[in-house]
Amino acid sequence: MTAQDSTVQMKQSQWGQRLKAVYPLLGLIFIVSAFAVLTKGQILTPRSIRLILSQVYPLLIASAGVFLVMTIGSLDFSQGSLLGLASIVVSALSFYSVPLAILGGILTGLAVGLLNGFFHVRFRIPSFIVTICTMYLFRGFCAYLTTNAPVSAIPTITAFNQDWIKLCFAGGVLAVVFLVFHFSKLGVFLKSLGAGETATRFSGVRTDWVKILVFAAAGAITGIAAFINVIKVGSITSTAGNQFETQILIALVLGGMPISGGAKSRFFAVPIGTLISLILNNGLVMIGLDTAMQQLVKGLIFLAVVALTIDRKALQTIK
Amino acid sequence: MTTANTALKPVLQAVGVDKSFGITHAVNRVSLDLYRGEIRGLIGENGSGKSTFCSLLTGIHKLDGGHFLIDGDMLAVRNQIEANNRGVSIIVQETGTLPGLTVAENIFLGNEKQFTRFGVKNTRAMNRRAQKLLDDYGFSHIRAAQAIESYNFENRKLVEIVKATYFKPLVLIVDETTTALSQSGRDELYKIMQETRADNRTVIFISHDLPEVLSHTDNISVLRDGELIDTVKSAGTTEDDLKRLMVGRVLDDRYYRKDYGERQAGSLALSVRGLCVPGQFDDLDLDLYKGEILGIGGLSECGMHEVGKAIFGASYHRTGSVTLADGSSINTVTEAIRKGIAYASKDREMESLVVNTTIKDNIILPTLSQTAAVKPLNHKALKRFAVKYANQLSVKMTGVEQYVNQLSGGNKQKVVLARWLGKDSDIYILDSPTRGIDVKVKADIYALMSDLRSQGKSILMISEEMQELMGMCDRILIMKEGRINAEFARSRDLREEDIIQKML
Repeated sequence: MTAQDSTVQMKQSQWGQRLKAVYPLLGLIFIVSAFAVLTKGQILTPRSIRLILSQVYPLLIASAGVFLVMTIGSLDFSQGSLLGLASIVVSALSFYSVPLAILGGILTGLAVGLLNGFFHVRFRIPSFIVTICTMYLFRGFCAYLTTNAPVSAIPTITAFNQDWIKLCFAGGVLAVVFLVFHFSKLGVFLKSLGAGETATRFSGVRTDWVKILVFAAAGAITGIAAFINVIKVGSITSTAGNQFETQILIALVLGGMPISGGAKSRFFAVPIGTLISLILNNGLVMIGLDTAMQQLVKGLIFLAVVALTIDRKALQTIK
Repeated sequence: MTTANTALKPVLQAVGVDKSFGITHAVNRVSLDLYRGEIRGLIGENGSGKSTFCSLLTGIHKLDGGHFLIDGDMLAVRNQIEANNRGVSIIVQETGTLPGLTVAENIFLGNEKQFTRFGVKNTRAMNRRAQKLLDDYGFSHIRAAQAIESYNFENRKLVEIVKATYFKPLVLIVDETTTALSQSGRDELYKIMQETRADNRTVIFISHDLPEVLSHTDNISVLRDGELIDTVKSAGTTEDDLKRLMVGRVLDDRYYRKDYGERQAGSLALSVRGLCVPGQFDDLDLDLYKGEILGIGGLSECGMHEVGKAIFGASYHRTGSVTLADGSSINTVTEAIRKGIAYASKDREMESLVVNTTIKDNIILPTLSQTAAVKPLNHKALKRFAVKYANQLSVKMTGVEQYVNQLSGGNKQKVVLARWLGKDSDIYILDSPTRGIDVKVKADIYALMSDLRSQGKSILMISEEMQELMGMCDRILIMKEGRINAEFARSRDLREEDIIQKML
């Protein structure tokens, strides 16, 4: 093989890489066009767009946190019940002061995240098992706290339910996560940790601390999402945040997040994935599918995307 | 092509076999004939296509072009079990046993049917048969019913040997297996190869150890950059002939240091006292000086590989002390790296490199993990840093954004060294630094070691290669069963036999 050939092929493979990187964007465009046709343009009306955007914030914020968790090759299934629990705390504290309520939500998330991280690291239990356990644990808490009646927040809190406020929170969280991911050494450590834990530890990275930090951050970020949730719904029932964890996971994967994390994790999986996931949800409702059918279709799409994108070569070496 | 038995019909033929991985043309239209009763060496530098060729033969990878014939019939298998059924078996370079299964289950993987009645596996019969095989091979210290994890790397290799040979395959491939074995394990393997030949069957033997290849094969095929260069008779061929064929040019024999007796009297760099890792080694004392290459040698399970890891602070349950010249003690990996200790593990792919990420990230990681400053990353500066050290070691790559898992073994090791040079380390713990690496890169690594030594850096080289220890070290410690058994000073008169005596 001549040097020229190899440069040409190299360029082709770089092109291939770049093309792969825009797949999720193509997916978004495809799904918008598909539903535009199926709903005869209905999904593109200002009303629909506003409706979709109004649901975007909690998912967008929480996905940014879980994005970090998935980058290190872990999963967090406790997000849904965490959102529920933090929402209850926010609601209860909202009677004292709103800043206190926000802080309470963040601290609740932080505490749950620390607990997840601690069990994962200290007892070397795979994260999905730890977080499935804590998912049930905190779902139980939520049920207990809402036994007699839903927990209501102070009625005036819905005054905060304005697009610019939600946009500020979501934008702030996304900006911080983006900056940390791309411009801090922590970002390099996270990707490296996802790609190979032992070698990362042997490079001097304190992997245990990084893992705990990531779970704590994901928890705290979902605490912020809880505030956005409360200002929208006003009162919290025992099922608040049900299935939220799966929604996040599906959103990220649809956005191109590798399920095993690592070096190929891209931040834009967060916004793109969230949009794809919500358009899919709303589109399926608009074309009139019943709930059972919606779940079936979503399940199929999720499975197909994972099957198509999973990186089987991650462990394959050329010799 | 010159072969011994041209008159006979070949048992295995490769016809225009071809395979590419992305931009790498790993195997380039290779045609090869193998004959009954032959041990055929297959040699070449890293990335020359030896292992890929065997992966194609055994169905691990799919062919892009060409085909194989066995006894004149088409051989197109999809996995190793199918290959076994057609009489082709392989002992692979890396671990080929499956954790979570017993020794017996590993041996009969894919062939459990013979022990199954009415859908129920007769575990006892399987274990009995496996134990009988192990005993016949002389490996009775391995128990068939035990979990495979309870055995070390070498014993697992022995299990693989049984697994690959008990059914008397027509063609047995031994892919770089000897590097994992101690001398006694190697002898067992050689014996099996001889028996296979005596039985009028065929062996393909892959190794980087040229003297070993020369003394245990009938013919040797040489691959270079995926192409078959030549096939020669082993008798009458010299190591230099082979090297010339492998690299396509004459290599002189001066890889090792040539100086003797001009030992620099450096000051103490690191001192180890009463170091112990349970089950690995006990009560170890050693001193490492500046401008010194200290070697540790021994059999593969003498505990020496854990010594490097323990000094680096990476062993669990370590006791004893590791102290630097400035009096600071090393207890964790982070401390070790911060204080300028570098560690290249024997397990390059798992412990030394994050293979599923870029060369750049691998090179910057040890340095980045120790910078205290909290400021935005300058990606351009980081890239310059990575390029600088990758180029200093002349890593063969398309760019620092290339993933490490696309590199050959020698280039991977260069990346390992590049990252520690970048960290400006003072003490280099190099465990089996040239394991599975071709002569050209070996020479580069030895040159770098000499260079570091003359800069006053300290090197602790742990190696199973006696020649390398004798050629490079100022002092050699020989370990036996977890303790230091002897110390040798650098000398022209050092004899390999004397050193080996202290290992056994």
